[in-house]
Amino acid sequence: MPGTEPQTTRQITITVDGVEYTQEVEASDLLVHVLRDTLQQTQVLIGCDTGNCGACSVLWNGRLIKSCMMLAVQADGAEIATVASLSENGQLADLQQSFSDNHALQCGYCTPGMLLAAKALLERTSDPSEEEIRTGIKGNICRCTGYVNIVKAIQSVAGS
Amino acid sequence: MLLRQVAYVRPGSVEEAVLALSENDEARVLAGGQTLVNVMKLRVASPRVLVDISGLEELSYVRSGDGGGVDIGAATIYDDLASSSELDDGYRVVREVAGGVGDPQVRNRGTVGGNVCLNDPTSNFPPLMAVLDASFNIVGPDGERSVGVGEFFAGSYGTALRDGELLRSITLPAPRDGAGAAWVPLRAAHLSWSMMTVAAWLRLSGDTIDEARMAVGCVHGSPVRVENLESALRGVSVDDASAIEEATAGLGDDLEPPSDVHASADYRREMASVVARRAIREAAADARS
Repeated sequence: MPGTEPQTTRQITITVDGVEYTQEVEASDLLVHVLRDTLQQTQVLIGCDTGNCGACSVLWNGRLIKSCMMLAVQADGAEIATVASLSENGQLADLQQSFSDNHALQCGYCTPGMLLAAKALLERTSDPSEEEIRTGIKGNICRCTGYVNIVKAIQSVAGS
Repeated sequence: MLLRQVAYVRPGSVEEAVLALSENDEARVLAGGQTLVNVMKLRVASPRVLVDISGLEELSYVRSGDGGGVDIGAATIYDDLASSSELDDGYRVVREVAGGVGDPQVRNRGTVGGNVCLNDPTSNFPPLMAVLDASFNIVGPDGERSVGVGEFFAGSYGTALRDGELLRSITLPAPRDGAGAAWVPLRAAHLSWSMMTVAAWLRLSGDTIDEARMAVGCVHGSPVRVENLESALRGVSVDDASAIEEATAGLGDDLEPPSDVHASADYRREMASVVARRAIREAAADARS
């Protein structure tokens, strides 16, 4: 019985950006590896691998989490949204356009995670103060921008 | 990083979880995973079996307890704790501390049970639980039992949990009249790691401290209740700055903090009284609000 017998491999069903996948995974597989390597969702990035940088961030059942800090088996039955879920039919979301307009990225490595952090923040607080923005992106490290333009980009779409 | 092979089970109830923990060798509870997953990546520990309780609604709640206190399910995530109005009567400090743990991603998965069961010397909740006089409700193959703070926290990374047992919930007692609490960290930067934390609980009559509980975190293996300081504060007026200063002056001498990359032992000893004074001020403000 699934509830009482430990298994080293498990078949999981996971929805990623609206597409359902059924996949056998190892219990030791991290969610980020299954997303990237097995499901080919390479828009989910690996940065530090230790849960500090946030580059691997995704939305799990609507909540912002670090996918390198969750086992794939823990996501069985869950809905995952990656940065790819922001745009529709090739049209950038306002948030993405704002990042572009405000030069809120340089190398772009933190950007997928940062966009999702921004989205999660704005869903909770539609018109955040600067302090709330900076606290809201605390789990996402950027090595290039110094955060100034990221904050500007988020402020730009806030309140709308 | 790759984890060692491990077996995983997702029990559908607390009962199944206890069975899984007691029937499997080297089984560990997996809750939010915000510590354990990293531990496993670094191979500091490699449990043979993971018992995932993170989805158990039975363990995720904040509600009024019998007798006017608050019961908190062990698998309640920090975010839910931070947004629970059930804590407003006497336990706003719990909301604040929960709302400041880690970052949004950590708060969406990490649990208060995980924090106290880890009992890392730098964990936020142990010193806070120490001054709030929390009790820890444990369930295991031999049934249920509750233990107090002194018994629950047993040295660095140690708790009273025995093999096969699981923390079910934490109970905070009914808030007392005139009481207030605060938790103050000493940090190098805004929202960074704490070099030291002081938790304070005061019960005031007017401006006089009738009862004080003070605990210091990040300095010893288990949260330290500083009895000398607690006695020195009894009968003192919170508005008497020089009396508070006198009472807190010797705090550093009662501590044996470590020297590490974040701060030297001397710095921690010296800052202890400063942070304690801040905590007393904030606890008094909480009591009066």
